[in-house]
Amino acid sequence: MRVVIIGNSAAGLAAAKTFRKYDQTSELVIVSKEKGLPYSRVLLPYVLRGKLDYKKIFIKGEGFYGENKITYVEDTVTSIDTKEKILTLEENNKLSYDKLLLATGAHAVAPPIEGIKQEGVYHMWTRADLDALGPLFDTKKSVVVLGSGFVALQAAWSARYRGLDVKVIEIAKRVMPSVLDEAGGKLIAEKIADSGVELFTETVTQKIEKMDDGTFTIHLKDKEAIKTDFMIVGTGVRSNIQFLDDTGIECERAILVDEYMQTNVEDVFSAGDVAAGPTTFGDKHLTHALWPTAVEMGEVAGANLAGKKIAYRGSLNMNVTQMYDVTVASMGLFNEEQIDESFVFDMDRYDGYMKVCYKDGLVVGACLVGDSEAVKLFGKLRTIIRKGIKAECVPEKLESFMDIKIFRDRA
Amino acid sequence: MKVVTMDTSKCVGCRNCELACAFMNSEMTCERSESKIKVNHYIDEKVLIPMTCLHCEDAWCLNVCPAGAIYRDEETNAVIINQEKCAGCKMCILACPYGNIHFDEEKLVSTKCDLCGGNPRCVGHCVAAALNFEEAEEFAERSRKKVDMRIAETMKNTCK
Repeated sequence: MRVVIIGNSAAGLAAAKTFRKYDQTSELVIVSKEKGLPYSRVLLPYVLRGKLDYKKIFIKGEGFYGENKITYVEDTVTSIDTKEKILTLEENNKLSYDKLLLATGAHAVAPPIEGIKQEGVYHMWTRADLDALGPLFDTKKSVVVLGSGFVALQAAWSARYRGLDVKVIEIAKRVMPSVLDEAGGKLIAEKIADSGVELFTETVTQKIEKMDDGTFTIHLKDKEAIKTDFMIVGTGVRSNIQFLDDTGIECERAILVDEYMQTNVEDVFSAGDVAAGPTTFGDKHLTHALWPTAVEMGEVAGANLAGKKIAYRGSLNMNVTQMYDVTVASMGLFNEEQIDESFVFDMDRYDGYMKVCYKDGLVVGACLVGDSEAVKLFGKLRTIIRKGIKAECVPEKLESFMDIKIFRDRA
Repeated sequence: MKVVTMDTSKCVGCRNCELACAFMNSEMTCERSESKIKVNHYIDEKVLIPMTCLHCEDAWCLNVCPAGAIYRDEETNAVIINQEKCAGCKMCILACPYGNIHFDEEKLVSTKCDLCGGNPRCVGHCVAAALNFEEAEEFAERSRKKVDMRIAETMKNTCK
């Protein structure tokens, strides 16, 4: 049997590792569009900030493929014949498969603004982006970041940390709607301001104009234009499904998979940022584009590729990072419209803002702008959210409830 | 394969394990903030829990680390953080269901128990024999016996 994995990052690698746990003999091929050793996108802002050496972005060494008996092919898959089970590659002609995993990830997208696609305007998503941005962080004085999601704000923080003059433009009313609730968003916005980054919310970018000296003038609606040396666009990502037309593989904005990471086509699986799978909260198809979700989906896919029938317990979104001198984290549901009630912890105890959210009497999520000690509570909460365990205690006692429960369950 | 086991019924909350761990890791202080093992005191519930890394068989911190900085030591089977590779993103702290990974505020990287290379000092300094370093199978056997005895006790009482 030949198993082919398209994609060489979180989901693809987790799948390969798990597959080998169950099946040591079948042929395993990884096809990667990006050249070089696998690297971690999560680390890009840490490298830009100067916290991490460039070479530390690589998450597997040369030996990984040999040790796991993986044939590694650097090529781009242009089409899939799901009837004959054959992939067409750009350079290496054709490759047949018995089972296929689509772990092709996502790509950064830009809003339709005049002048947004030109030299000097970058994303912060791939190693190529890092290669382009690295020298600019060393030599330039100012940057404008478009968008204020997780990636955008990390890019802005990295630049500010390195001493650049940074401005962030956000079209919506507040920052990080998919990572923090309104109060948390407000707090991080204050931290952003304290760091010296200028934040423009409810601001519409109309045109990006390159000047004769290579700098940019960004024209804003009803506001004064901004000048900058270069730009980073962090306005979200979309699944890489462009090459799946006419394959019969069911997609919406991402590939639809069931709890076995199986698509509607037999022997074709999908995992990671390119896939939309079940969640802890009962959604059938949702894409997180988050590293932990990609790893989990990859593990499930790997087991099922090896013929195990292992179902995914559903993804649980989680984010964590250190930026603007605080820890920002969230998990599950935390926006007011998604929950019944919430409990905000005493600021002193967790040195910041921490909210735990409930729905139908169960803990369903939390968000934090505070210190790393509080992140530990997130780890513990994850278990009870996933298992739907009712926390029979007052919210202040959640931590002891869970610690004690762990031991009672183990004994 | 040896693991650190914890018997919460024996722990007296002296925190010797924390001091020993702190000294082993800092090589200069017994300051408890340096310790990787934490004795959780729950006064109202009357419970003491000495908590340290369980070096899970399927360690989620290891699987999820976006920097590939967590690995399993082949000799001791310990789950170890390579601080040179750690970016300090805190994903492992978020991943651990037991709260056993800590953040080193000076180095700005994650830190956790590494079983002291196969000679865990917390166990050596436990005055109550609440902490033991033993073969996982032996611990399982002992737990099973304990549960069996408890069931037998219940049966005896209800069948009277």
